[in-house]
Amino acid sequence: MELEAATILGKLIGAGLAMIGAIGAGAGIGIVTSGAVQAMGRNPDATGTIQTNMILGIAFAEAVAIYCLVVALLILFVF
Amino acid sequence: MTEKQEKKSGWRWGVNRWFVLAFIVLGAFAAEKYPPIQPHVQLPPEPLTGTLFQVLGQDFAFTNTMLAMLIADVVLLLMGFAVYRAVRGGAMVLKGLPAAVEALLEALYNMTKGTAGKWAKFIFPWFATITLLVLVANWTELIPGVDSVGILHHSEHGYPVQDLGFAATIVKPAEGGESHGEDTELFSLIPFVRVLSTDLNFTVALALIAVVMVQVAGFRSQGLAYVTKFWNTKTFFSKPIFGVIDFGVGLLELISEFSKILSFAFRLFGNIFAGSVLLFVIGSLLGGGGLGFFQVGFLMLEFFVGLIQAVVFGLLTMTFMAQATQGHGEHHEEEAVPLPEKI
Repeated sequence: MELEAATILGKLIGAGLAMIGAIGAGAGIGIVTSGAVQAMGRNPDATGTIQTNMILGIAFAEAVAIYCLVVALLILFVF
Repeated sequence: MTEKQEKKSGWRWGVNRWFVLAFIVLGAFAAEKYPPIQPHVQLPPEPLTGTLFQVLGQDFAFTNTMLAMLIADVVLLLMGFAVYRAVRGGAMVLKGLPAAVEALLEALYNMTKGTAGKWAKFIFPWFATITLLVLVANWTELIPGVDSVGILHHSEHGYPVQDLGFAATIVKPAEGGESHGEDTELFSLIPFVRVLSTDLNFTVALALIAVVMVQVAGFRSQGLAYVTKFWNTKTFFSKPIFGVIDFGVGLLELISEFSKILSFAFRLFGNIFAGSVLLFVIGSLLGGGGLGFFQVGFLMLEFFVGLIQAVVFGLLTMTFMAQATQGHGEHHEEEAVPLPEKI
């Protein structure tokens, strides 16, 4: 029982630590969006192109957070 | 004629809002009587049948995500037939669902045209198919009954059940839940339908298809010259230092193709799996009474996440395919094999 409790404790702490990586992705997505919105404000005609590239950039930045999430989910539900 | 059409096309707010209100009240009462409880979350999909046959020594069973796949396919086919009939009907301006599909496909096609130019005809079907399939698959998450109607089976993680006559429901154990007697049987649920994108097999398969088609697009547009993207020995001897750097960049490109598969698969899987776990947990936390109403907010969030992930998956596929057709640095446009008119 002691070992089981320690295992659960370790899992929860590990999953929480794994999600720290989401900080970087959050900041990154914020920077991407801020740049894109400024660009759209300066040049509204280019909105379509900027939006496409913005979504691509967000997707790449978000991928890192998703890796953290997958690691956290693996720790919680698989191991 | 026009009166009839107007009557049919309008969303009947006067009547429908009472239905919506009735469902909300019904939902609140149902949540009061049978509080939602957090199901046992597991990563691999649950098999609905036993082992059907063996593939390469592995057991093959029909899982609940496969059923979701079939449902998504049927929905897409019905949509296709609806649009086909509307277009064959000869109406100049489509109405209802066909009009929505037309607007969506037009937006997607213009996006492809803007990025890929003359290769849009080859790339667009892959882009649109992936986007529509993932969209329908993600939105099944929002239908009541998905993930919550299924087969009960014995499990040590389970909860006691109550017989309702035609069916049984899992009930929340009484306070001090550990103390139920030895004779109480514990059950947990295998849902009939589980959201397709929460199955890693599906997302990896889709990612493999996307990345393989990127290579096919590259070979079709540039011929064998596409290989030099990965194995660049053109400048290896003529420019001593930069040649080596170019060669290394080519190898990195090769690695990045493989990492594309990983990031495609895990992006979709992670987003939608986390979304469905979020819905489970929020539902069980809010529990009975009027608080269950706030679940609606999270359903809206999942609506947008499903849409955005579908568009991102399709858009990335399209962009990578368009990049593969363009070659790098040199102008291959002249010697490129012309695309046949019909694809």
